[in-house]
Amino acid sequence: MKKLALATMLAVGLTGCSSSEETQVLNLYNWSEYMPQEVLDRFTEETGIQVVYTTYDSNEAMYARLKLLDDSAAYDLAVPSTYYVSKMRQEDLLMPIDRSKIEGFDNLSPELVNLDIDPENAYSVPFLWGTTGLGVDTADVDGEVTAWADLWDERFDGRIVLTNDMREVFHVALRVLGHSGNSTDPEHIEEAYERLAELMPSVRTFNSDAPRMPFLEGETDIGMIWNGEAVMGRDALPTLEYVYPEEGIIAWLDSFVIPKNAKNPEAAHKFISFVLKPEISALISEDIGYATPNLAARELLDESVASDRASYPTAEDMVNAEFQTDIGDEALQVYAKYWEKLKSGL
Amino acid sequence: MGNTLQQPFRTAVLVLVWGWLLFLVFTPNLLVVGASVMTRDPSTFISLPMNLDAYRQLLNPLYLDVFLHSLYMAAMTTLICLLIGYPFAWSLSKVARKNRLLLIFLLIVPFWTNSLVRTYALKLILATNGLLNNALMAMGIIDEPMQMLYTEGAVIIGLVYLLLPFMILPLYTVFEDLREDFLRASHDLGAGRWSTFIHVIVPLTLPGVLAGVMLVLLPAMGLFFVPDVLGGSRNLLVGNVIKNQFLDARNWPFGAAASIMLTLAMAFLMFAHRLSKRRIGEDGV
Repeated sequence: MKKLALATMLAVGLTGCSSSEETQVLNLYNWSEYMPQEVLDRFTEETGIQVVYTTYDSNEAMYARLKLLDDSAAYDLAVPSTYYVSKMRQEDLLMPIDRSKIEGFDNLSPELVNLDIDPENAYSVPFLWGTTGLGVDTADVDGEVTAWADLWDERFDGRIVLTNDMREVFHVALRVLGHSGNSTDPEHIEEAYERLAELMPSVRTFNSDAPRMPFLEGETDIGMIWNGEAVMGRDALPTLEYVYPEEGIIAWLDSFVIPKNAKNPEAAHKFISFVLKPEISALISEDIGYATPNLAARELLDESVASDRASYPTAEDMVNAEFQTDIGDEALQVYAKYWEKLKSGL
Repeated sequence: MGNTLQQPFRTAVLVLVWGWLLFLVFTPNLLVVGASVMTRDPSTFISLPMNLDAYRQLLNPLYLDVFLHSLYMAAMTTLICLLIGYPFAWSLSKVARKNRLLLIFLLIVPFWTNSLVRTYALKLILATNGLLNNALMAMGIIDEPMQMLYTEGAVIIGLVYLLLPFMILPLYTVFEDLREDFLRASHDLGAGRWSTFIHVIVPLTLPGVLAGVMLVLLPAMGLFFVPDVLGGSRNLLVGNVIKNQFLDARNWPFGAAASIMLTLAMAFLMFAHRLSKRRIGEDGV
């Protein structure tokens, strides 16, 4: 009897809460500096839905939080990179996307939909794509830098920044050794680890919040940087150059996904449709420097952005480029073991 | 009469305190202990069977190095806090009561700003293109900017900045209780300033020193965001190892075991503190 009374009280309390809630909320979980404030403001203006923006700086952290908060459904929308889409999809962490509620899907580049990571795009909608290449502050670096292997040059001792991303850092070493950046061969990974261990003493810092910052602070002259960061960084540091290394650039695609237990999938669908509007996609690409997969938006882009090789690479730049793919848990563990060794090795 | 009123109040307080301890202190710690003896699992984080692998992993010399380096940075932080905090607290206790409150207030004001924000502010000051280097170069004191950010020194500066009040406040309370007549008695019995300091003031303030050391040393090993922001690639604290295990490497048993080790270190220090307090009690008064 007591239990029933308690349950009723709870139920009344809960309905009381939801009916008194006037404004809807969308909990967006995204990379830091990966969505202009203007887009959020305009979305709220148009739909009346408030956006709570929370950020992460690595796929691993995002994955752990989502997995952990599975039951409390803290987020309505997240933006994992390529291989994490397939990992999360396979682990049943995602809600299927209702294509009938998404407008503008057809504008997406055919090259960036129906990929292996999510064959029918049943769980993900591409948001932005980009590359991780070499950032070089030409004010402090003499001579030309053309390859990842140049990082090992001793003149850069203590002047290097790497992204705080296990897969990307190993990708670089694997390419230098002539292997695929998606290698699952433990021997290749170990070789890459040994190569990176040689590089570590020269590495000044890891940064995946805003890899342009160590350049702006004057702490590093060369290192791994995302193309959008290089574009944003140029505003404050015009000598910051984005280089496509000979061994091949790292390419990735970040997609919207809806966590399985999202409280407000309705708002999540609306947000995806909003971002897919050509003018909004164009605004995002112009503002943060990454490439939009939205072909209709590409036509609206400012000429200076559309012709910017850092944001929109030429076919030549993409020679040897490799997209990150899902390598499976077993290989991931091998990477993780060496990554940890690398980072705690003093 | 008074008793009947007090009874329900007493019960309520007891329930609150014990409930708090049970649900917010005991249970989480039990979960951590539980996690530390489980097996790592890539999809559910932890799973059976139970074993002590995580503790065995702690013995890896790699982690011993991280621990020792972390301990070194924390110890330097504590030493610097003590060197600044001791005279600071002493002079604070000498200031007129009215101004003293104002000074303590000023000491506490920075707590109103989030410590992460304050750490980022330090970054702006210490960077090669930062405020400090620019100011020193403008004044002609240095020609080349100094490398301060992303060094061990930067981590220690950050830790000292955040933890100094925790050293000053317990020291201040012991200095406030320091009785003038003891100092006068020491003087009357022929002790000079130095010998009064060594034989009277230091023993009487020792409990405050120990409390301050405890409040600084252990947090200094756990504040992972300070090395994250200021430390660059090589200056890890034990706190960073724990955070990385939970978020990035997803090895919860190992992260839990590392955090238990830190808790045990804390318990050991508290035990030492109690022992020393008892000894001071015996020969002091």
